[in-house]
Amino acid sequence: MSAVAYMEPIVETAKALIQLDEVTKTYDAGESAVQALRGIDVAIQQGEFVAIIGPSGSGKSTLMHIIGCLDSPSEGKYWLDGEDVATLSARALARIRNQKIGFVFQTFNLLPRATILKNVELPLLYAGLPRAERRERAMAVLERVGLGNRSKARPNELSGGQRQRVAIARALVNNPSLVLADEPTGNLDQKTGAEIIDIFEDLAGEETIVLVTHDPAIASRTGRRIKIVDGQIVNGDTE
Amino acid sequence: MTLFEAMSDGIRDSKDHLGRTMLQLVGIILGAGSIVATFSLSVAGKAASMEYYRVSGGIQKIFIWNHPTGKVTLDAKALASKGLTFRDVKAIQRNARQIDLVSPMASETMTVRYREIEKPRDVMGIVPAYSPMNDVHAAHGRFITDSDVQTAARVVVFGSERAAEFFSTDDPVGKTVTINGTGYQVVGVMEEKYFSFDHKRNVLRWMNRQIYIPITTYFTRKGDSLERGKVNMINARMIDIKNHEDAVDQIRKVLYREHGTKDFQVMSRIANLKRNEQNNRMYDMTFMICGVISLIVGGIVVMNIQLASFNERVREVGTRKAVGASSAQIFGQFLAESILVSVFGGFLGLFVGKLFTEAIASLTRDPAMVTPDTIVKALIFAAGTGLVFGMYPAIRASRLNPIEALRTE
Repeated sequence: MSAVAYMEPIVETAKALIQLDEVTKTYDAGESAVQALRGIDVAIQQGEFVAIIGPSGSGKSTLMHIIGCLDSPSEGKYWLDGEDVATLSARALARIRNQKIGFVFQTFNLLPRATILKNVELPLLYAGLPRAERRERAMAVLERVGLGNRSKARPNELSGGQRQRVAIARALVNNPSLVLADEPTGNLDQKTGAEIIDIFEDLAGEETIVLVTHDPAIASRTGRRIKIVDGQIVNGDTE
Repeated sequence: MTLFEAMSDGIRDSKDHLGRTMLQLVGIILGAGSIVATFSLSVAGKAASMEYYRVSGGIQKIFIWNHPTGKVTLDAKALASKGLTFRDVKAIQRNARQIDLVSPMASETMTVRYREIEKPRDVMGIVPAYSPMNDVHAAHGRFITDSDVQTAARVVVFGSERAAEFFSTDDPVGKTVTINGTGYQVVGVMEEKYFSFDHKRNVLRWMNRQIYIPITTYFTRKGDSLERGKVNMINARMIDIKNHEDAVDQIRKVLYREHGTKDFQVMSRIANLKRNEQNNRMYDMTFMICGVISLIVGGIVVMNIQLASFNERVREVGTRKAVGASSAQIFGQFLAESILVSVFGGFLGLFVGKLFTEAIASLTRDPAMVTPDTIVKALIFAAGTGLVFGMYPAIRASRLNPIEALRTE
């Protein structure tokens, strides 16, 4: 052996489905820069059901946007499903959202003029799937949330709970790596909200679910809670 | 997302806001309508002119008139010139190589009598070339022949209207009429010529109201010599319209040599047609600009309404982006909507344009016709408007930040 010492290259690998290393987000608001996230380290494993909790203004929405690839971190690394997505272009992020992430919003965000079926098909439309396949997959996932018989209805013909189930179907239709739910029960009464969480519980294990909420009762039903205050994770429950 | 899918989204959206869509379309409808009207009138105008030329002897026809000079200083030869004569006809026939047919006309009001009907009527001295020159032929009997001209025969051919006037239901052929006291045998009746630009006035009626005799007979009865007999007008026909300037030049040279002065005027249909085409292009341009301005106004309305409806769609765009629509796909969808709405407007504009066309045509008595070419043009213009004015709203939609768009209430 020669005396030459080999420097091992540092290969940054991510074992978890979601891994954030030292993620910060700074909003440049003129003179004063606002630091919404201050060094977040999170790992979420495949099949986990995780709640992100925290008071409003804590930075949990910003974290959710970054995890959902709607926004990019100012600094730090983010691996989603083994892919470094921190520095991707807007176009590439749109593709990631389309193929790896399913969103469920507090306000459902269904297209009011489209049928339930068309709403669920939407991600597949942007993925460029042929019509027949879109329909088949959308119908299958609608069956899964118990709305197979309402495929031709418009969103305003459904109750709030049903609308959120349509949104869940839409989030699941592209077989995402991650389902991201932002206050999914915020616009629902307690009983209906609980039913929505039931659905997430059923999906957990099979799907990776990240749920953003400020409701401790909802959060207590998830497998793990990540608490954010002032742009930092405050509980030790981060693995 | 395919274009078709973007379109079907657009259709659904336009259908759900039918009132708004219709409002949006007024400008486009009117714009496309006026383009349809413009082209319909101009195309039909050209077609009607060409048809008129065709039925009255073709675009190879040349007109030669007397045109007294205003010059004070004339040399002897110019002073001696008596204007167009039969001699000129022969000179043109001999020397103008680009000319294959020459037809002089000498006309005067004479007293025409058949039995108890006696009226002052125009009588025209002509040669057989008159018939092919004006594309008018004998319906009964025959037209004036070369032998009639050579022998200065006392034969007469009636135009259809004159025949009806003098003979009513009798067959004129073989009958004898007197013209200025001399007896003539009727040898033929001409076919009725008809052409109308407005379906009302027959612009070829003058032909039906002629009474034709051989030009030699005409001169002889007036006491003129054949050489010096004055003619009112000469028609000539050029062999090839490609050389139309040469043909006219040759005639001018021949006549100038004969007359020693420019006391005549030569005009060819083909030259006229070319000049008119230029004028028509001006008209067309003017009308087109009006149509395009309407479309621009319509396009601005489309843009405005797209932008007005923008706010209520911000959330929708946010949702679409969240589920993976790229900026390009959003851009395509919005643009497809604008184009679709505009083409739909253009389509309605076709019907409005047809109404415009008919209204204008009935007011000005001009001919009008809507051709497939015109329809395609109007639709292309409408689509172009949608493309141009849909661009800005589409760019705005495509650039929306999904986070902010989703936050919008």
